[in-house]
Amino acid sequence: MPDDHNPFADPLRFERRVPECAMVIFGANGDLTKRKLLPALYRLAYDRRLPASFAIIGNSRTDLGDDEFRNNMRDAVQKFSEDTAFDPDLWSRFAKNIYYIAGDMNDPSMYQAIGKRIGEIERHNVLFYLSTQPSYYGAVAEQIGAAGLNEAGPGAWRRIVVEKPFGHDLESARALNQRLQAVFPENEIYRIDHYLGKETVQNILAFRFGNGIFEPLWNRRYINQVQITAAESIGVEGRGGYYQEAGALRDMIQNHLLQVLATVAMEPAAVFEPDAVRDERAKLLRSIKIMQPEQVPLYAVPGQYDGFREEKGVDPGSNTDTFAAATFFIENWRWAGVPFFVRTGKKLPKRSTEIAIQYNSAPLSLFASGDGDLPKRPNLLILRIQPEEGISLRFVSKQPGAGMHVRPVSMDFKYGASFGGRSPSAYETLLIDAMIGDATLYTRQDMVEASWRVVEPILHAWQSPNFRVPLYEPGTWGPPEAEKMLERQGRHWRNA
Amino acid sequence: MTATIEPERILREMNQLWDQTGADTGGAGVLRACTMTLIVVAENDEDAALARRTIGSIMHDHPSRALVVKTQDGEDMSARVFSECWMPFGGQQQICSEGVELTSGPRHFAEVARALVPLRAPDLPTVVWCRGPGAFTLRAFDELFPLADKIILDSSTISGASAALAFIRSLRLRGYRIADLEWTRLTGWREVLSQVFDDQSMQAPNSITSIRIAHGGQTPPICAIYFGSWLGRALPSAHVRFDTAEGDPGLRSVTLSSREGDLSLSVSSGGCLAVTGLGRQYRTALPPRDEAALMREELKILGSDSVYERVLG
Repeated sequence: MPDDHNPFADPLRFERRVPECAMVIFGANGDLTKRKLLPALYRLAYDRRLPASFAIIGNSRTDLGDDEFRNNMRDAVQKFSEDTAFDPDLWSRFAKNIYYIAGDMNDPSMYQAIGKRIGEIERHNVLFYLSTQPSYYGAVAEQIGAAGLNEAGPGAWRRIVVEKPFGHDLESARALNQRLQAVFPENEIYRIDHYLGKETVQNILAFRFGNGIFEPLWNRRYINQVQITAAESIGVEGRGGYYQEAGALRDMIQNHLLQVLATVAMEPAAVFEPDAVRDERAKLLRSIKIMQPEQVPLYAVPGQYDGFREEKGVDPGSNTDTFAAATFFIENWRWAGVPFFVRTGKKLPKRSTEIAIQYNSAPLSLFASGDGDLPKRPNLLILRIQPEEGISLRFVSKQPGAGMHVRPVSMDFKYGASFGGRSPSAYETLLIDAMIGDATLYTRQDMVEASWRVVEPILHAWQSPNFRVPLYEPGTWGPPEAEKMLERQGRHWRNA
Repeated sequence: MTATIEPERILREMNQLWDQTGADTGGAGVLRACTMTLIVVAENDEDAALARRTIGSIMHDHPSRALVVKTQDGEDMSARVFSECWMPFGGQQQICSEGVELTSGPRHFAEVARALVPLRAPDLPTVVWCRGPGAFTLRAFDELFPLADKIILDSSTISGASAALAFIRSLRLRGYRIADLEWTRLTGWREVLSQVFDDQSMQAPNSITSIRIAHGGQTPPICAIYFGSWLGRALPSAHVRFDTAEGDPGLRSVTLSSREGDLSLSVSSGGCLAVTGLGRQYRTALPPRDEAALMREELKILGSDSVYERVLG
């Protein structure tokens, strides 16, 4: 890190600086590049977080010149930048360093052309970004290696960023990893899970380990259950072809939600450094109890919204899960016996991602409850990831008036109210981190493998030929089986 | 107008203001936000108006209970409450911060300080910001300093760098956590220089043997002294020299010399800094930062600022 040798560093005041570098985007005409990467890079330039010489080299098969590509990217920035004004002057300076090389990702000469362009623009540090179909990841990495583009000169770096999914099961994840590691050392491989880049997910660590009052209560003695919900109100929205192959369990739980679970449940790291934090996340993921085949029907429930099979690109006989719910247990001293209920789905009643930590009820109910149901309203700590990012604590309070009647009330902290400034998007955070070499918020191979181990028994059960995914009505919280899964354990989903 | 300041009455008025503000939204209500108490001492009407404008701007990043003390000799003490509201981008509910403007002569500052104690937002940090030169010259301000977790001054408001520095050092010796906006104004310069040495291929900075700091005006202004002290602490074996240069008062250029050659940062046209030497030749934008930007930076640092503390010595 720069601070180690720079006597002028002042980390309290200086933004972390991105060194002169170029970013090579494979799949540069795709949705991810247009919707996320370019708006994030433009915003970073707008905030003067990127060096003036920062260069982008885009690649895809489409035959375009530099100027056409720049125009496409300008349109994307104008269309998809949600909270950043478009500044034509800034764009013209930014776009001067955007280049495009058309070519097939299997064609070695295309990589020679990229290498030549990197040499022409004299960038020694290069970030390769795989924004392609996952099936190309291994091949592109190998071609980068064959062309020698992975070799950095003295003091420089070459890194590769890989988007999820990292494989489609444990075996393919390992195979992909072998191909990546044959070209790049593990510390230069950045597996991006954009959930970890969200400010509110990072805030979980600050909330837990920056305060003294929560961590003593953060264990099996006080916590009854944890519910993690990532609900979407929309359907597959034109991504039927992709989604049919992935499903909710692979698309959300294996990566995003297990990472969130690990962040909620991990032990504090000795120091806030990339490998120390990732070691603790990995350790937690390895502690999740792996289901036996006969346990899967009891602890995991898939669902498919009615109408999914009529979506464009979806097989009319598709058995894909558009909803998945699972109960996980963590086998360590802190969490033994505490169920972690995780669910995600499309076409649920509302868009909401949150973690609900339910504490044990008071051991004795002294007071009459206003709603007559107080024992069912224990203290609840809600960490809201999106929308309305914030934290709420539910507790009971005396109702005004005669007698001692109590009812639950909520104490709310809204992230946007206390920190009125704009929060960077997850991609802004993660791109900067990759450029400065901070992998704290990136997923490591052992974490990927541990999470595949957790979901594989469920995948195997749901993929068996005779298994039929239950349907659910759009606008509901999934199939009734999801509620039954909790009822068997004496609990209920929180459907606030 | 009242002859004295009654904290309980002010707090009551503040609650009434919130009730009224909420009622005015037609049911949507407002979100009351507060992360600290910001006590601002303004030295006249114009100063108070400028302070209110800055407060309005920084509230988005640092929502605070603002207690604006307007000094005005010969007047009775008075107080009035106000709120600052804004609608977050894409939001449906206004976020509001609260404030109190108190008018008092410096001779009443002891009483003002007593009144400010219950007016502070409980359990949150308190920052005292003195915009003008009074903090450096009037002993009455001493009454307010014990309220603060951090005191923000602006030494550019007075002449005489050595006296200003001596005063700031004396406050630090008394255990106060101090910030000087004149130091904050140097962040851009310091960051540009630091970025040069972030480059791993750059020579080791300890090979630098001498530093020349050129400034406008006849004597080194406090910003030049700060910069020299900062460089001197970072490169203890280098000799620091101050020279006068043509141009506006303030920092004009900084040159670091080593056997390999000179590296210079100098004020350039169009609000830029030019970096030249040791294989470098480029300009980097250094737009002027307004008071709100300086305050935003300082309010982010409520704990110890070891770099500035070392510069103070």
